[in-house]
Amino acid sequence: MGMEDNRVQNGVKRGQLFEITVDGEKIIAYEGETVGAALMAAGQRTLRYTNKKEQPRGLYCGIGLCQECRMVINGVANTQACQTLAAPGCQVETRKSDQKRGSKI
Amino acid sequence: MKTAELAIIGGGPGGVVAAIEAAKAGVRVTLIDENQRPGGQIYRQFEKGFKITDPEVLGEDYEKGLDLLRQFSSLNDKIEYLNNATVWGIFDNNTLAFARNGASSSLSYRKLLVANGAYDRPVPFPGWTLPGVLTAGGAQKLVKTERILPGKNILIAGTGPLQLVLAHQILTTGGKIEAILEAGNINKNWFQVLKGIWGNWDYLKEGWKYLRSIQKSGVPLLYNHILLEARGDGRVEEAVFAKVDENWRPRPGTERTVKVDTICSGYGLVPSTELTMLAESEHKYDQLLGGYIPVRSENMETTVPGIYAVGDGAGVAGSKVAIEEGRIAGTSIACSLGHISDASADKFIEHSRRRMDRYNRLRKVLDKMSMPRPGLYELAKEDTVICRCEEITFKEIKTAMVDGTTRVKDLKRKTRVGMGPCEGRMCGPALIEIMRIHSNTSPEGDGYLNPRPPIRPIALGVLAAGTAKVKKLEKHKEAVNVS
Repeated sequence: MGMEDNRVQNGVKRGQLFEITVDGEKIIAYEGETVGAALMAAGQRTLRYTNKKEQPRGLYCGIGLCQECRMVINGVANTQACQTLAAPGCQVETRKSDQKRGSKI
Repeated sequence: MKTAELAIIGGGPGGVVAAIEAAKAGVRVTLIDENQRPGGQIYRQFEKGFKITDPEVLGEDYEKGLDLLRQFSSLNDKIEYLNNATVWGIFDNNTLAFARNGASSSLSYRKLLVANGAYDRPVPFPGWTLPGVLTAGGAQKLVKTERILPGKNILIAGTGPLQLVLAHQILTTGGKIEAILEAGNINKNWFQVLKGIWGNWDYLKEGWKYLRSIQKSGVPLLYNHILLEARGDGRVEEAVFAKVDENWRPRPGTERTVKVDTICSGYGLVPSTELTMLAESEHKYDQLLGGYIPVRSENMETTVPGIYAVGDGAGVAGSKVAIEEGRIAGTSIACSLGHISDASADKFIEHSRRRMDRYNRLRKVLDKMSMPRPGLYELAKEDTVICRCEEITFKEIKTAMVDGTTRVKDLKRKTRVGMGPCEGRMCGPALIEIMRIHSNTSPEGDGYLNPRPPIRPIALGVLAAGTAKVKKLEKHKEAVNVS
């Protein structure tokens, strides 16, 4: 992580660059990017594991509907990574989506 | 509780244009939008920090969209714009509830317009839950507005013009596409296509540009080909595809495997109808328009008086049709509220209708080519998860159908499909089609999942932070749930 960068460099000027922490490791993000987009740019596809079958899931619909990108962001479980703008110091965790709730949906 | 003369849900082209027309006629409008800024998916604006120096990727239509958005913001004394707001319920007595800034509020209205848009048709195939499989729309948002490529080796699989647009955008930004699979067959339908294109020159010009860009890149565009399966250990590593017959069933012996890390699945769009369904307006099944859609009058009014619906959420027909429908609805509503005369409304609406007919001619031709055929819903294997949230497999659904479940609603009660946090948006469209092609079931009647409030996951704290009036609504919500 951290080495891969799927950002397009031509035709765009990005804003402020900062770091966010994902499962203890740092990745970069730019102002205006969602957490989900920053993870895609870093090549990290798995955003959570399902409760029953513990299967990995990633960004699917990308527009806030499918709920597959639910992560623990700044301590809040079930936060949609594709709808949450990254901010300096953001703490992101990949894990079973409702682990913190301690119960099944 | 506040009262709006006209409440509009959705800030895409249909909602924005309806707001402009109604406000120009003197109606006080409140527009509730889920996004940070108006524009919807198609005219999505950039987040703070981004400066785009190559507008080519955005398409010509985007500039026209920005003109509409400028008009919209110039009317800000007449239009109240509530961004980042999620409508989670529509109730009796002309009241709706929405969550915004961590609290729930309610709004009453004299007229309501639902312009909820559409989303990518979710198609369950083996491996579709692997990280690296994403919808064409999701990939497009990344490429267009965040300038991030969804992967290094991309396969685009689906049907219709939207996936050509995505391919063009990926190629323009320097991404690598292994192949584009088009399940439909344009060669067979060329005469129909020509008839539909006649007069729609701007569409033709745009389509030609995309095809040229793909041809120049050397990326194979394979007609009559369908993606069968995504494979990989914890992420997409390869894709299996094959040639198909006219029912989109694979031709034996034509399977091929390609190494890719990303699959963009784009089988057209399905309308977001949960709010019009929640309002208990009548819906009908129309395969060309994406599935179940609200029944509407010529003026875009649903079967519930005072509730209107426009744009892709009322039948997938694209932004140009959404704009004309928005004009018709905005004008009709202004007229019914007494702001303008019947005569001037009719004159205005007549122009919109003529333009809409021309757009619809082409749309119908393209829709026929791209209409999902039965083979698409036969891709799932026994262990393929159909309901992503509740992790219900195709086998569990088949067992329930064999046991005599003939309606999608009963399938929900029996298996829990559609009861997870996406509220049935991801499995619902597939369940409808799976049931339609299953011999024991009947497609007649209301063969869809019942949406229930809240139609979006809302934290209990957000509900609790609402007003006393919302507490009353919650009681109402329980009553609805029990029935």
